[in-house]
Amino acid sequence: MSVCMFLLLAVVGMAFDLGRVYIARNEAQIFADAASMAAAQQLDGTAAGIDRARAAVAAMPNRWNLATKKFSGVVIEFSADGEQWDQQPKNLAALRFARVTAPDNHVEIMFLRAVGGPQEFTVPARAVASTKPVRLTQ
Amino acid sequence: MLELAVSAGVMVSCLVGTFQFGYTFYAYNQLVTAVGNGARYAAQRTYRAASEQDIERGNAAIRNMVVYGDAQPEPASAPVLPKLTPEQVNVHWELAGDGAPRSVNISIKGYTLDAIYRSFTFDGRPSVEFPYVGKYAPTEREP
Repeated sequence: MSVCMFLLLAVVGMAFDLGRVYIARNEAQIFADAASMAAAQQLDGTAAGIDRARAAVAAMPNRWNLATKKFSGVVIEFSADGEQWDQQPKNLAALRFARVTAPDNHVEIMFLRAVGGPQEFTVPARAVASTKPVRLTQ
Repeated sequence: MLELAVSAGVMVSCLVGTFQFGYTFYAYNQLVTAVGNGARYAAQRTYRAASEQDIERGNAAIRNMVVYGDAQPEPASAPVLPKLTPEQVNVHWELAGDGAPRSVNISIKGYTLDAIYRSFTFDGRPSVEFPYVGKYAPTEREP
């Protein structure tokens, strides 16, 4: 009986918990894509452009967890070459890329943890967009 | 025999519930992907605004991209989910003062998913917003 219950919870957990994890991952990636494009669009070689980029990301209405939760802890970085990233860049005129990372998307696991699974599952997402033209590069 | 009847009832209920939620999550994930792809497409395509008809033609292409994964689908194309139609895709443009688009929001309205034992209706979500980064062409017409 206990073996059956274990297997049943595992199957329920696979369907329910992993289903939510996949949705959250998808939602997070779409947010990162949109946010990185919004940030890259604002870069104009000035400090005001950096501020506008941060404000544009903060204003993104996209949500996760079945469109119920706002993204938090979002990291915005900038780069001139797509390799060295900086949240507080110095050489503003050279900036060509914006990178947005949404790291704090913790999906609470409900069934799988009853059979030894994790309490939560983190689904981070990251995207890079270039300026002129504004396009996703990663 | 009695134990089998009781436990079978519990097991079948659990499996039915698992199927319902599993399928619904799968379908919702498909919708999120479709809406995201449509929003990315809308954000980068040329916004031709010579007339209201041109704007509506552009919106129709975006709806097709969401539903069929193709802006100009073949007549026999299948939607990404059963009974999903372009009319159930809402395309909303946020415009600047000069009529140039600032952002585009794509959402699903009134789509009912038949999960066999129960149906679920998605209204207003999934919803995705992208900044508009395409070319604004106020005098161009949709081909």
